[in-house]
Amino acid sequence: MEPTTNDLNMNLFDRALDRLCLTPIGLAGLILLLILPFIPPFNQEYMLRWLIYCGFVAAMSVGFDLTAGYINIVNFGYMAVAGTGGYTSALLVINAGLSPWIAMLAGGVSSAILGLIIGMISLRLRGIFAACLSWFFGLAVMGLAIKMVWLTRGPLGLRTPRLFETESNFPFYFLIIILVYLTYLVCKWVVRSKMGLAFQAIAQNMDAARTSGIDPVFYRVFNFTMSCAIAGVLGGFYAHFYGILTPDMMHTSKTVEILAVAYIGGRGSLWGGAVVAFPFIFLMEIVRSTLSHLPGLNLVIYALVLILVMIYYPGGFSYFYDTHIRQPKNRALRYFLNGREAKV
Amino acid sequence: MSKHNMSDTLTWLKSAPGLSIVISVVVAVAATIDAGPYLMVNMVVTGGMLALVATGLTLMLGVLNIPMFAHGEYFMIGSLTAYYIFTPISEFILEHPDSWLVTFGPFIAILGALIGGAIAGAISEKLVFGPLRRRSTDNWVMNSFLLTVGLSVLLVNLHQLIFGADFKGIVGYWQGMPISIAGAYISLDRALAFIISAVIVALFYLFMTYTRTGMAIRAVSQDITGAEIVGIDIEKIVLLTISLACALAAVAGGSLLFMYPSYPTVGLEPLYMAWFVVILSGLGNILGAVAGAFMVALLKVITMEYVGAGWDFVVPSALIMLILIFKPSGIFGSDVRGVLDK
Repeated sequence: MEPTTNDLNMNLFDRALDRLCLTPIGLAGLILLLILPFIPPFNQEYMLRWLIYCGFVAAMSVGFDLTAGYINIVNFGYMAVAGTGGYTSALLVINAGLSPWIAMLAGGVSSAILGLIIGMISLRLRGIFAACLSWFFGLAVMGLAIKMVWLTRGPLGLRTPRLFETESNFPFYFLIIILVYLTYLVCKWVVRSKMGLAFQAIAQNMDAARTSGIDPVFYRVFNFTMSCAIAGVLGGFYAHFYGILTPDMMHTSKTVEILAVAYIGGRGSLWGGAVVAFPFIFLMEIVRSTLSHLPGLNLVIYALVLILVMIYYPGGFSYFYDTHIRQPKNRALRYFLNGREAKV
Repeated sequence: MSKHNMSDTLTWLKSAPGLSIVISVVVAVAATIDAGPYLMVNMVVTGGMLALVATGLTLMLGVLNIPMFAHGEYFMIGSLTAYYIFTPISEFILEHPDSWLVTFGPFIAILGALIGGAIAGAISEKLVFGPLRRRSTDNWVMNSFLLTVGLSVLLVNLHQLIFGADFKGIVGYWQGMPISIAGAYISLDRALAFIISAVIVALFYLFMTYTRTGMAIRAVSQDITGAEIVGIDIEKIVLLTISLACALAAVAGGSLLFMYPSYPTVGLEPLYMAWFVVILSGLGNILGAVAGAFMVALLKVITMEYVGAGWDFVVPSALIMLILIFKPSGIFGSDVRGVLDK
């Protein structure tokens, strides 16, 4: 990245933060997440398990937002793509004896290939039709996972070795937090570069973008491939954390969960979904486990929140944050929320 | 004159709609000869149901630009309503085996499903789509799509919360001997379900083509501003369209209660299939959706017969994706512009 005017009047700390795509409040949040498992109510294993699921959804929603928020195509088969990565990774570990760590990356590669295919065949379609195509693709992949019993054991589920040889959830928690952050960082770097501009240009007006010399074919396929590769790696994490993999993970309702978090967080922000996922999914898990005699109540709340956000605040949490919280009068607070801003 | 007609027919046969319809008919006949007439019966019953759901979906997408993800849930509402109306009726029938309800009771249940669906549609317009439309219309397609996703999750889980997750089904609507046509036995329920869906689709087609209200709906679908200028009450038309579309899905659910017992996620399969139809046939006319419905039903039935149960998502969706690669606007559809079109 070439030095911007920002770089010239910044001290080392600010410059590092800028490179890491964090604001001081973002850094504080990250540190809070890292010490969270040591704070009393959260240090129990079952709470940690929920938090890991929160982290998984958070990272997935960041990857999802790369397509949904930047080229404006909802990848409706996103969990199916993640599931492909998970299954690839699990099968490589079981049948070829690979280490789960390498297998996770291989899962990412397989999902990237899937994303390449979806990106290529959805090129001729726009908006909702491309979403439908990826949805059908996801359905087909899920159908394959159910029916190829000799390979995937179908609905019985595939037992997978875990990443760490311990019963404790602690290492998994730190791993998922790192994965959330890495996902965010990679996506943000891409989006900050010229490529991000190209994505937005394509999403807003494809003909105008083409006139300006942007090749929509390359950028759309690249975006799809990258977002699917992220899903594949995370799917590998999912497989090697829960230790059991069923085709149910690829179901449309799971994609809806990711989608809801990404949109409640705010489209086109990347961090919105990641921030919202932790409190939101955590609360949902609490509702689900404490009110277990009312099955489905958590999803009713879920759906209501999604509907209300879509009607009254389609920009989501990130838009709310940008318009109401981000610009306080106090300079110290302003620095805390935004980091060092460019002198105009 | 007749020569002219002849060449017209030939051109139509060579076009995508003609070609696909001819191929489907040939495949259907061949499969029927090979596997037995029950295959044709299954195809026709499934196709009739799909035609109802898919016309509703086409209506929502074509007139209001809402890509409805919650359409299966109105199917579920229809079957639920029919179940709760028909259960007391069937108890009454058990005690009074020769009352007039034996014949007309099921019709009451199906009519109840229709009305229930229409009311549910109107409520969702008032509570969900109306507020969104009044607040903003930019990025409408995507926003309304996400809204219907939320609506779908909401309705599914409300069903689970209130009525429980168990199967609420009936053995059959009409007792009596199955009808025998060409060696295939068709139960009265299936035959009547098909007749009901055929009559409703026909009525709906006539309604859209010849009545003033139907014309108004089509006018709104073509140009909403123009329709407003000539004095069409948009709010009323939108409300009517949504409740009509939902009623179509609900009546399909109601009349097929004996095949699909009501449970929270019963609507998913009709929803997938209806989307297959809509994408396959393109955003064209109602007749296109009806023809597409039978094609998808044929695909599904043939897959079940020759590949095996459970593959009926894989094969149709793979085939539809193939078709989409070569003909992105669908078989009967108008233009959909993609990246590659200049």
